[in-house]
Amino acid sequence: MTVFHFFNCAILTFGPHAVYYSATPLSEYDTIGTSAKAAAVYLGTALVKLVCLATFLKESENGNFDPYQELLKVLINFIDVAGLYFALTQLTHRNISQNHKFQAVGLGWAFADSVLHWLAPLWVGARGLEFTWEYVFQGLEANANLVLNLSLAALGSLMWLRKNKPRILIPIIYACAGVLATMPSITSYLRRALGWQPAKAVGFELFSSLMMAFLSWQLFSACQRPA
Amino acid sequence: MAGRRRGRCGGGVEVLESIYSVVALVLILVACVELGDAATAVDVYRLIQYDLAGVPYGSRFGGLNHHAGAFPFAPGADFSRTVVMMPVRELNFTFLREYIINKQQLGGLLFLLPQKVSKKIVGEIKSKDDGLMRKILVELEQLLIHASIPYPVYFAFEDDKINALLADVRRSDATGQPATATTGGYKLVVSSPEPKKLSSPTITNIQGWLPGLKGDGDTNQLPTIAVVAPYDTFGAAPALSVGSDGNGSGVVALLEIARLFSRLYSNPKTRGRYNLLFGLTSGGPYNYNGTLKWLRSFDQRLRESIDYAICLNSIGSWNNELWIHVSKPPENAYIKQVHESLSDVAKEQGVTIGIKHKKINISDPRVAWEHEQFSRLRITAVTLSELSAAPELLKNTGGLYDTRDSVDEAAVYRSIRLIAESLARHIYGYQGRNIQIFADNSSLAVNPSYVKSWLDLLSRTPRVGPFLSKTDPIISALKKELSDHTVEVHLQHEMIDGMFSFYDSTRATLYIYQVASVAFDLLLLLVLGSYLILLFSFLVITTRGLDDLINMFRRPPSRKVKAS
Repeated sequence: MTVFHFFNCAILTFGPHAVYYSATPLSEYDTIGTSAKAAAVYLGTALVKLVCLATFLKESENGNFDPYQELLKVLINFIDVAGLYFALTQLTHRNISQNHKFQAVGLGWAFADSVLHWLAPLWVGARGLEFTWEYVFQGLEANANLVLNLSLAALGSLMWLRKNKPRILIPIIYACAGVLATMPSITSYLRRALGWQPAKAVGFELFSSLMMAFLSWQLFSACQRPA
Repeated sequence: MAGRRRGRCGGGVEVLESIYSVVALVLILVACVELGDAATAVDVYRLIQYDLAGVPYGSRFGGLNHHAGAFPFAPGADFSRTVVMMPVRELNFTFLREYIINKQQLGGLLFLLPQKVSKKIVGEIKSKDDGLMRKILVELEQLLIHASIPYPVYFAFEDDKINALLADVRRSDATGQPATATTGGYKLVVSSPEPKKLSSPTITNIQGWLPGLKGDGDTNQLPTIAVVAPYDTFGAAPALSVGSDGNGSGVVALLEIARLFSRLYSNPKTRGRYNLLFGLTSGGPYNYNGTLKWLRSFDQRLRESIDYAICLNSIGSWNNELWIHVSKPPENAYIKQVHESLSDVAKEQGVTIGIKHKKINISDPRVAWEHEQFSRLRITAVTLSELSAAPELLKNTGGLYDTRDSVDEAAVYRSIRLIAESLARHIYGYQGRNIQIFADNSSLAVNPSYVKSWLDLLSRTPRVGPFLSKTDPIISALKKELSDHTVEVHLQHEMIDGMFSFYDSTRATLYIYQVASVAFDLLLLLVLGSYLILLFSFLVITTRGLDDLINMFRRPPSRKVKAS
């Protein structure tokens, strides 16, 4: 309701990205180019995903949860992972350390994600007179997404960029990456099939993203130590 | 957005600038998106707005954009920016009178009408609630249409959503703060354009002519009997003025009588030696203005050939007593004849007909009954009605309470039997004889489903005369129906006399928004600001170290120290 509310929800949705960029050493090393390239790769990935969804997915008549369709959606979500791989490994970045590369890529990825998902609904919906909590929840979801994407980028860089990893940790890394990649499907399953309230679903997202971030941080620092 | 990125990656300042302008254009277009999403949208009907001889009456405004409030109020609260929601069931007349008669300013008034105004009348049993609701609505209507109200007044029907809303508003009002911009609540918005005066509103009279049988040697004009009924209504909410009893019942009776006589007259052997003139007149509530103009349009011969006229007004909810209203003294030979023909038939059917005499005052512009317009032109006429006393101006003209449930089709059926039988006996010369021309189960029986379906149709159609255009569907329907039963049908379009003028905008859509207060927005801003600051500090500390954070705030002094 009103432009004030729109402004509030906008800073909740997009503020953390800007804060992250300025607070961490990313701003010192001027990695905006990397983030921009990552955002562009995200756009390409989104297009490919849409085309695949349109081609392979059938329209469900009664809106119920169809396991086969959901499985297909999970597989299509792996295109996301492929896109991230492309962004991390194939693009030529300026000479920045591993540490910062994955952060920059993750940040750019998450920012593009937020903008494409939330900007249009926010603009059209949050400016009306009617007040709902919907847009505040969307902002919280965007925050959780940011953390998730950063963790995924971290694990991705571990998987593809780091050559010498302790043997024990490799399966854990892959498992965590798998969980992260399927996180969107899990949340949509909770929302639709189990019918969780928006507040509960957003709370779950936040909690799980923090957990996964903590895990990936531990894994990353474990791999930092000389083998 | 994608273009911007590609522009930045690819270089080229001109490309960038053109893309920026495209983006700006898109943003401007998007900003014009209509913001029409609301929690609830309700159909509302505006109070009538009219001028009578230059004096304004009714609600003078249409647009509404204020917070909602309801009883019980905190004493001494200011309501000039509140829309007061009042359910009609629990109307507080003292409060209403105080506000309306003292011309105190409200943001607006929203009356909530019950879904069913009265329960179906079964025989003679009317529950006490019905009588009470009817009284409340009549009193409310009279109060509103005779006052000039400087804020919008709307009527809406109760339903679950509105009742829940009302309960919510009451709860928050009970805590003592009426909703305003800073405390949140519900906002009621009606965005209708400013009501404009109707320029030259027309009223339409519909007449049907059924000629009688002229003998070979007859050179004179056959005598004529006229059956007349006004079909238009007037009420507090013109979009709700369906006037089932006043005068939907009269219209239906006229149509059925026309149908029965057209059957009789279609066969030359049973065609009577009287012409029949059927008139559906408009302008009834405005001193029968339309009837006057209709009569003035007759040529002299027709006027002189009219034996008598029967006007029908509200014959739909009586039990066993009807009234004939006359303006000539009852001892007059013609009046006596008409009265006797009606009461003879009535006696057979177990009904009493009383007679009421009201003298016409030529200098008084008020015309209480339709027959008075005939009498002023020296035509014998009577009005048949269930009302025993003459209604005042703009009363009993089809108001808020006059819906389908207030009329009984059995009463209309009885009226039709009575009138048709007495007319037929007069036409065919069977006065005093015990003969039933329109007996039940004969081919000339009164058709109850015809009566019912026309009553249903009229009860769904608001018919305030000035708001009906010349080609309004109901006028065309009545014209078509009369032309099915009569030989010649004419429409006569007239302008209403200068005394009355009306304003448009009779219905609108009310949008109800649940709004949060400005305080809430500020609080949210505060919370978000502190969240972002915390996030910032957290990230700086974890990635660069605590010293960096402190240095960020201490930079100027340290530089100064360095310089010296």
